[in-house]
Amino acid sequence: MTIHKEEKIWAGIVAAMVVVFLAALAYAAWVIGLQVPGGDVQLVNPQRALEELKPGVREVAPGKYEVTLIGKMWGWFPNKIVLKDPVEVKFRLTSVDVIHGFEIVGTNVNVMVFPGYVAEITWRVPPNAKGTYLMICNEYCGAGHQNMYGYVIIERSS
Amino acid sequence: MFSYIMLLLGGLFGFLQVLTRAPGMPQLETPELYYTGLTLHGTALAILWTAFFIMGLAVFVVTRELDMRLNPVLLRSACVLAVLGTLMAAVDILAGRAVVLYTFYPPLYASPLFFIGLAVLLIGTWLFGAAILHAIFKWKAANRDKEVPLGVYGVFTTVMIWLFATPPLAYAVLFRSLPMALTGAPVDVLEWRLWFWYFGHPLVYFWLVPAVTVWYTILPRVLGVEVFSKTMAKAAFFLYLIASTPVGLHHQFVDPGVHPVYKYLHTVLTYLVAVPSFLTAFNIVATLERAGRARGGKGLFGWITALPWGKDPVFTGITFAIILFGIAGFSGVVNASFNVNYMVHNTAWIVGHFHLTVGGGVTLTFISTSFLLVPLLFGRDYVGKRLLIAVPTLWFIGQLIFGLSYHLVGIYGAPRRTYLPPYLQNPDLTQGAHFVLDWIPLLQLGAVGGVTFALGGALFLLLTFATIFAGPRVRLSGGEVKISPDPDRATFFDRLGLVILIGLVLIVIAYSLPAIEVYSRGLSPAPPYNPLTGAPVTPS
Repeated sequence: MTIHKEEKIWAGIVAAMVVVFLAALAYAAWVIGLQVPGGDVQLVNPQRALEELKPGVREVAPGKYEVTLIGKMWGWFPNKIVLKDPVEVKFRLTSVDVIHGFEIVGTNVNVMVFPGYVAEITWRVPPNAKGTYLMICNEYCGAGHQNMYGYVIIERSS
Repeated sequence: MFSYIMLLLGGLFGFLQVLTRAPGMPQLETPELYYTGLTLHGTALAILWTAFFIMGLAVFVVTRELDMRLNPVLLRSACVLAVLGTLMAAVDILAGRAVVLYTFYPPLYASPLFFIGLAVLLIGTWLFGAAILHAIFKWKAANRDKEVPLGVYGVFTTVMIWLFATPPLAYAVLFRSLPMALTGAPVDVLEWRLWFWYFGHPLVYFWLVPAVTVWYTILPRVLGVEVFSKTMAKAAFFLYLIASTPVGLHHQFVDPGVHPVYKYLHTVLTYLVAVPSFLTAFNIVATLERAGRARGGKGLFGWITALPWGKDPVFTGITFAIILFGIAGFSGVVNASFNVNYMVHNTAWIVGHFHLTVGGGVTLTFISTSFLLVPLLFGRDYVGKRLLIAVPTLWFIGQLIFGLSYHLVGIYGAPRRTYLPPYLQNPDLTQGAHFVLDWIPLLQLGAVGGVTFALGGALFLLLTFATIFAGPRVRLSGGEVKISPDPDRATFFDRLGLVILIGLVLIVIAYSLPAIEVYSRGLSPAPPYNPLTGAPVTPS
């Protein structure tokens, strides 16, 4: 068992890099608050999700929205979401059939949507976000998967 | 032989897909054909081409290095079952009864034969693993003080990773997916994905470790040197073995229902499994430097130009493969990075990443190794030897273009596994919504890359099939082929039982927590739906 000196130095560099990266990720998640979806999750019968969750857009406080979305082969309901001067948007999502993936193109919003589970994700809307964004399904869900898209429209008063 | 047929089949559909996704290229597919083809492309290339080639390579290395035969009953039944299971699943994919992609996420319905085929294939691979382990442990019992040769150690790592990874997959297929297909039984998707991705990540190390074995053994041999550090090579295999399984949650960072701390634990372990790749990068470059200096290369960089670039197709191909893998290693670290994953999850970035790893690093290594193996195994010399160098060159350039453009278009949010024409041909989207217009030039560039490496692949298959059937006969026994460096005395790494135990302990730590979470919350099963019609599947 011989280990060259150069290799020991290299292994040290790699270890240091790993520690720094991991610390940065943990800082972003638990201090800045860019957290991944968690374990505290509501279960729902997929066949009754439509009645129980009542899809739609609600402004709970000025600039603070709660959006409930249902994925169904092959569309989002509702498929057009208008937000006026949004600051923070909480999405609650589930599927009434198979697995879907919810993504707003060009943003951090990206979450798996399962039948039987209500996924939650909070989007802190960047102040310069404006105009029409595409919201798509990014997990294959059958032959009409490519037709499953809608729009998120952000209107700014100033 | 079977693996080359799979490469042909899968490659053909890959070629069609990359064109379909790019505007202005010939549109050859409907959505149904696109998704059927994508199912076949993933299964044939990621699972079958790799697995069958690895089986062939493993037998070659173990029988030559340990100078013993494998148990013939186990080996034959393994091959028969593996081929049989493949054919069963392939029939249903081609017949359009299993349009579920290679991940077959429930509750997307596929016919029972597809799942039975998968199960038979799995059993075949287990018998194969048993045959290899039987031989290695028998040799070990007779040679207590001796070190396991490096090549065999690589094979041992590969087989153990597979055996760690597959039992939960068998559970998901046999106890969840198959009842769904047979009786319409509902399936809890979170439980299913937990066990599928438990398998899904070690799967990629099952592809990679044999390629790394080639880099550590055959590459130095081709250049006439020994690997720079045998110890660090073994350390790398050891880390791959223990850390490649307990990391699957990094495919589920954006799944609801799993605690962030467990996801973070898997992030830490994923970083741990990046360490052997960093060690390998150092070791291989040091080996290449040694070979370059032995050829008279001087100065800081002179050793690089002294290497036989463009002259030796095996050296050139393997080194190109390593470069592609290195690039993908960086995007792999991004994928593993917990919250950063939001930016790339299920986008074309991931497609770029794994084409550079399994399509670049692994496949190009196997192609280049074939230049040596085909003459040895079939007793025929390669036809068109001068053309061989074009294969890795086209493959490398094509993969590089494809991989980089798909990484970039993923940053712009283009989804993976999606028939894209409805997005790209709709002016409401290209003109009306952010980012969609930016996808187009990158997808076109990706198609250029895809066509380039498809040409390389076609040339490889043409020459290889011509060689197997009509190459000039040569007498090569292969019996005297030397693969590993000379073994020394046994070390810590050769305590195989202990190594396996460490791997198991890590798996239990990493998976008991999310498993307890999922099961104690209670499952929430969902009934199946037909992927072609979108209609619920009623039990017949």
